Amino acid sequence: MMIELKNITKIYEVNKNNIVTALDNINLEIREGELVVLKGASGSGKSTILSLIAALSKPTSGEIVVETSRVSKLSDNFASDFRRDNIGFVFQKYNLIPALSVKENIILPLVPLNLHVKEIEEKLIRVLKMFHIEHKENQLVKNLSGGEQQRVAIARANVNNPKIILADEPTANLDEKLSLSFIEILKELKAEGKTIVVATHDPLFFNLEIVDRVVEIHQGVLL
Amino acid sequence: MRTKINIYLVEYAINSLLRQKYKTLFITLVLTALIFLLSSIFFITNSIKYELQSTVDSLPEITVQKINGGRHYDIEVSVADDILAITGVKSAVARVWGYYYFENAGVNFSVVGIDEYEEQYKNSLTNVAKTLDFSASSMILGAGVKKIINENYYKEYFNFIKPDGTLKRVDIGGVFDTDTELESNDVIVMSKESVREIFDMSENKATDIVVKVANEDEIATVALKIKLLYPDSRVITKDDLKISYQNIFDYKSGIFLALFVVSLFTFFIIIYDKLSGLSSEEKREIGVLKAIGWRVDDVLKEKFYEGFIVSFFSYMSGVILALFFVYMLRAPLLQNIFTGYSQLKTSFTLPFVFDMQTLALIFFLSVPIYIAATIIPSWRSAALEADEVIR
Ligand SMILES: Nc1ncnc2c1ncn2[C@@H]1O[C@H](COP(=O)(O)OP(=O)(O)OP(=O)(O)O)[C@@H](O)[C@H]1O
Ligand SMILES: [Mg+2]
Repeated sequence: MMIELKNITKIYEVNKNNIVTALDNINLEIREGELVVLKGASGSGKSTILSLIAALSKPTSGEIVVETSRVSKLSDNFASDFRRDNIGFVFQKYNLIPALSVKENIILPLVPLNLHVKEIEEKLIRVLKMFHIEHKENQLVKNLSGGEQQRVAIARANVNNPKIILADEPTANLDEKLSLSFIEILKELKAEGKTIVVATHDPLFFNLEIVDRVVEIHQGVLL
Repeated sequence: MRTKINIYLVEYAINSLLRQKYKTLFITLVLTALIFLLSSIFFITNSIKYELQSTVDSLPEITVQKINGGRHYDIEVSVADDILAITGVKSAVARVWGYYYFENAGVNFSVVGIDEYEEQYKNSLTNVAKTLDFSASSMILGAGVKKIINENYYKEYFNFIKPDGTLKRVDIGGVFDTDTELESNDVIVMSKESVREIFDMSENKATDIVVKVANEDEIATVALKIKLLYPDSRVITKDDLKISYQNIFDYKSGIFLALFVVSLFTFFIIIYDKLSGLSSEEKREIGVLKAIGWRVDDVLKEKFYEGFIVSFFSYMSGVILALFFVYMLRAPLLQNIFTGYSQLKTSFTLPFVFDMQTLALIFFLSVPIYIAATIIPSWRSAALEADEVIR
């Protein structure tokens, strides 16, 4: 078992009189190497689940275990280390730094590690090739198309070769052709044995051969 | 802990500064200008303080003048002998000196007569006194005097105009090489006989009498005794002079203080502006960095480099510019505040006083404060949950 969510509740306190229960007592197990699609309407709590798995936020109650670490209990610094070593997050808005080049964006997760130049170069080349953006290496991200930007974001998520890939609405900003090529990328990642969670309401994902399971969420509750 | 300097982090910091090049340039320029102004003020005040201190150190312990109707008259030389008889007095010397107005240049020279090795000029005269031939008519000039009379034709001698209109020719014997330039720049030293001739003073008169006391604690007592002995005299002690020098200095450094306050004020406005928060773009960037695995301290290190690069660069350029401005260009504009009253004084050079404490003070007033102002808002932002970035 790779990822386990036990009795997870997440409550956002907007102000004193207004609280939002984003997740209500959720239990979910994701096995190693599994590709799970989180399906649900806007506001149902998909992104919240991804952020909890990535230790970007803490549950109000319940526990999250990834492999052997109790992610929901990690201190801020250990949460950062955990993300750096285990999680590749492909954000809905990509979250690239537009004024930096493709290369600079991709190696960003490696910066705090202070690795040898050669090692960085190797890791960079691996993902540049894997996601077919070698030819854009030195271009500024702001000059790339949406599809290219997503591939840079995926490359960045994979540069440290994490075991878990989390993708939030990966096809929301892509046309059909690009969406299909994203699915090709998913295939490759799955072939590498990565555990993958995709949050989406795009029907394209619901009947795919490579998808092991579709988990539906509605107003913070799993169906 | 990774203690080795992470060049990728430094590179990222530089990149980040270059990305906002106009903002970076503006802040660097303003900081440099402020540090330049601050350093200049400190350098000048230090130098002048040093000048004044060495001047004050060489002042006579007690000066006695003859006063009548509130005005200063020549005093009988014999008074010196009477004072010498007072217990506790080590020496009493009658001085002969005056101000000579040089009309061509519109400046006053201080003409001082000496007839032997006189304690008061010990520092400045040790070297030149030997070259002064008291029997002949020669003189030693302050550098400022020499410059002015050279500009006005006189190279080897100078013609003083006596009160009766006749001329007194005095040869130039040498130039002061002195450490108390503020005071001696306009001084001419020659034999007492020559001075008496130029100012038409009689043999038994002197300008004033300087008194040395064996024990410094007795200065006030001796001064009182002299006053009782000669009720028509004005007795000035070293402390009195020290105070009036200090007053001039305090008044002038007040102007500097004002400049100082203005620059600090500007600096703190910059700091305040930085502390008041990050743009949403900057916050997002920090969130992204954390989301991809940067620790809070990685973010803070990066911000530290950013702040350090900007403030240390500004510090170095500001200080170097100030050194150049004050000691090479002689601080045009600023220096006039101190030495503007006489044409002669403008050629006075500030003595170079290298003071690590001043440099350190300026450093601690600027660099760490700026770095803190860079780090603190980022720290606040980085310490929050990073999940904003997924929205
Ligand atoms: N920081 C927050 N403060 C308050 N409420 C929040 C916050 N983040 C999320 N929510 C609320 O929690 C609920 C779940 O949000 P979440 O982003 O997980 O939904 P989602 O399924 O990802 O939706 P979408 O498809 O629009 O991305 C929503 O009602 C949202 O308004
Ligand atoms: Mg979402």
